[in-house]
Amino acid sequence: MKGKIVIPKVALLFFALGLTGLVLGLGTGSIRAQSQDMGAALEADTLDETQASKLESEREFPVPLTPLPKTITPCRACHGPEKDFPVNFKRREDLLVHKNLKLNHGGVRVWCLDCHNPDDRNYLLPLSDGKPIDFEHSYLLCGKCHGTKFRDWRSGIHGRRTGKWNGEKTYYRCVTCHDPHSPKFKPIEPMPPPRRPWTPKETKARH
Amino acid sequence: MARSGFIFETSRRLVTGGAVYYFWMTLLTILAIVGITSYMKQLQVGLIATGMQNYVSWGLYIGNFTFLVGVAAAAVLLIIPAYLYDFGPIKEIVIVAEVLAVCALLMCLMFVTADLGRPDRFWHLIPGLGILSLPRSLLAWDIVVLNGYLFLNIAIPGYLLWNAYHDRPVNMRFILPFILLSIPWAVSIHTVTAFIYNGLAARPFWNASILAPRFLASAFCSGPALVILLYQLVRRYTTFHVKDEALFKIAEMIAIAMAINLFLLGAEFFKEVYSDTHHLTPLQYLYQGLHGKGMLVPWIRTALVFNVVAFVIFLIPATRKNFATLNLGCVLIIVGIWIEKGMGLIVPGFIPAPLGEVWEYAPTTIEILVSIGIWSIGLLLLTAILKIVLPIETGEFKKTGLDGVPIHAGGGL
Amino acid sequence: MSDQTDSFSKENSNSARASGSEIVQRPDSQPTDNRTVLSDRRTFLAGAAGLLGMIAVSSCTWQEFFQNNFRRMSKEEIEQTVHRLQEEYKKKYGKEFVVGTEAPLDATLFGYGLDIQRCIGCRRCVYGCVEENNQSRDPQIHYIRVLRFRDGNMDLEQSDIYYDPEEVPEKGYYYMPVQCQHCANPPCTKVCPVQATWTEPDGIVVVDYNWCIGCRYCMAACPYMGRWFNFTDPGIPKDQVNPNTHYLGNRPRMRNVVEKCTFCIQRVRQGIYPKCVEVCPVGARKFGNLLDPNSEISKIIKTKRVFRLKEELNTQPKFYYFFSI
Repeated sequence: MKGKIVIPKVALLFFALGLTGLVLGLGTGSIRAQSQDMGAALEADTLDETQASKLESEREFPVPLTPLPKTITPCRACHGPEKDFPVNFKRREDLLVHKNLKLNHGGVRVWCLDCHNPDDRNYLLPLSDGKPIDFEHSYLLCGKCHGTKFRDWRSGIHGRRTGKWNGEKTYYRCVTCHDPHSPKFKPIEPMPPPRRPWTPKETKARH
Repeated sequence: MARSGFIFETSRRLVTGGAVYYFWMTLLTILAIVGITSYMKQLQVGLIATGMQNYVSWGLYIGNFTFLVGVAAAAVLLIIPAYLYDFGPIKEIVIVAEVLAVCALLMCLMFVTADLGRPDRFWHLIPGLGILSLPRSLLAWDIVVLNGYLFLNIAIPGYLLWNAYHDRPVNMRFILPFILLSIPWAVSIHTVTAFIYNGLAARPFWNASILAPRFLASAFCSGPALVILLYQLVRRYTTFHVKDEALFKIAEMIAIAMAINLFLLGAEFFKEVYSDTHHLTPLQYLYQGLHGKGMLVPWIRTALVFNVVAFVIFLIPATRKNFATLNLGCVLIIVGIWIEKGMGLIVPGFIPAPLGEVWEYAPTTIEILVSIGIWSIGLLLLTAILKIVLPIETGEFKKTGLDGVPIHAGGGL
Repeated sequence: MSDQTDSFSKENSNSARASGSEIVQRPDSQPTDNRTVLSDRRTFLAGAAGLLGMIAVSSCTWQEFFQNNFRRMSKEEIEQTVHRLQEEYKKKYGKEFVVGTEAPLDATLFGYGLDIQRCIGCRRCVYGCVEENNQSRDPQIHYIRVLRFRDGNMDLEQSDIYYDPEEVPEKGYYYMPVQCQHCANPPCTKVCPVQATWTEPDGIVVVDYNWCIGCRYCMAACPYMGRWFNFTDPGIPKDQVNPNTHYLGNRPRMRNVVEKCTFCIQRVRQGIYPKCVEVCPVGARKFGNLLDPNSEISKIIKTKRVFRLKEELNTQPKFYYFFSI
């Protein structure tokens, strides 16, 4: 009698185990979840530290030559040796020429000759090494006061980037986005908001 | 020869009945056909035919699915007294509850299929052919346990009926392990369904430990209530005998289950209202309205009133043993739990959305018609199966030989 | 499933007989319970009819129907699939399509930075993304949602996505765009019942659109509204479709499947910035390789104060919000 009871119970047990195994084994398939240990990954260095710091301290910077306005130079045409206007270091609003420029940069702290080189108007003021900065490298001058922004811009944290994230990128000069005479961005028109979902009333009206 | 006899006899039984039977079956068939045509329309246009959107991406279908899994799981509540406590009055009638469980499960599977965006890719779910993502995906587990439970609830009564049809005694030692297995399995189907919602950290309304116990408690209210009503109908329209004692015992159990359900609801309320964090907002939306939106508020408040009234009815022996109030209580509880566990569970889970927006959901006509259609198919199957099963159970429908005389065990060819 | 049920009950009835119980053997006994077979047959026929109907109305070819999961396809299968897709898209949109299958780059883990000090809420990223990634215009899908907060808090429930002023930025508000965060511990890939979505080795969470069954469980699981569903056939004007695609990325999708931001997988695996990064007029978006200490994103994490959304959910997003003063 006992033997007759055991066999179906044992069969049931094996059947249940087999079913579970079958379902788990077949079900999960050959694809395992992929996981990345991000902590360890971040510590891995792919670029030599000394190499990197060298690049950053270089004065030359891979910046494309965005076309500057034709009228930007030669300033020397008016401010040159032929027509040498006396330099007036007093801040004033009424300039004889350049009336179209509205200066709104730093309020009372900054005016024309705080950036433009009074000795040679084709250049901007120099850094501490005495070499005048040309308009192509105007960012070096911006970095004099806006050091944190300059550092960020150099690392790629500030400003727009296009191109290849792992290769050649296009950096934009400060002046490409920020008008140096009135740097604050003007507000722009936003693009349209997303469509709202249907409310229950609208759902009912649809059907 | 015997096989065709069964089929012939079954078919004959399915198409003969009283006027009520004809009316009922015709009505259900019409509703089922309407449901199927609506579903074809949904397949044609895509899920945009429903009211579901990116914010509330589950709705009426999944609500019905959740409710019906509970109904199916509740059949176990009757198996426990029947087989473990050998409570005679229930033991004889447990088969009806099991048939109800089967039909409820089939309805669940239909609802999930209706909700699926690409049912044509169902084979992706078959382990071996496709990929069934065990053990991480709760939906995959749900598919396994639901189908297993379906098999158990077909095999166990099937075995019992098979023997009754052939007039053979049942080998209880063989079938008992299956019956015992079906008890934890029934608990597991509803627990796994609860875990589908419970495991989502993104939805704080569902991500509460109280969810799985509440599911079971409310399942043990709605399922047996349906069973009580079903038994009374069976008693009225067939020769199947159901003792009053059995029904009152079931009602007693419902009272206990509802007490637990209401207690757990109270606990949920306290936790959210007292802690007063952002996690309160879905509950607030449901019971009070949020930012002027409160479509479900009248529904859930009605459900709460229904549940409390039904609880009182089932608690007091006088009202429990009075069939008028008993039936009222059953209907109230079924509607109340359907609201609470269907739309009242699924929709507030999505409100507010993860980024804070509040967008409501309302089912479209197609959705409602498909849901009614699936319920009709379920009830159609229930009626048809009972029409065959009950006569077998009572002994009226037995295997007959060529001369029409029932064949007994031990007889010759 | 019903066929499986059939064979199991068959197995058990046989074992019952083998045990030699009191059941008398009938020479012409049936192998299974007829009622089961009957209902199984009914269910099977109904199911088969339904399935054929579904295939008919879902308008998919037989190759599409039998297509395997991307990760399980052999090289030849992938080539065939890509070829088939390119033909399909050409027929539909009238352009030569490229459906790339570029593998992840070595030693790469993508990270994203968003400078909420700079964002002005102009939504150019939203529409740049829509164009690049062939998102449906009608019904509208936007992978990026720009939230507007009042100065002083970051309460999501008080945020607004539908702001429409004359000009941005508005005084007293700040803006925070949100998209798929490409979590390292994603809740969405955990719950997919068919593994139609997974994390690639370079950290991008992708969806195989031809494997997705449209159950929308991943959408319920995502805490950031990163995933979107095509409730019907996507509506993309033919002249605006982008033919440079990736299989796991921006190739045109079909109805009733889930889609999401893929960090422009078709661009980044060729070394180009995602579209949103390039389009942002104020340079608020940063992207790079977290494993490269010299990339912008690594430097941001090292030098700026970063935070991630909903950290308490332990999803470990790779989308870092930061402030650059």
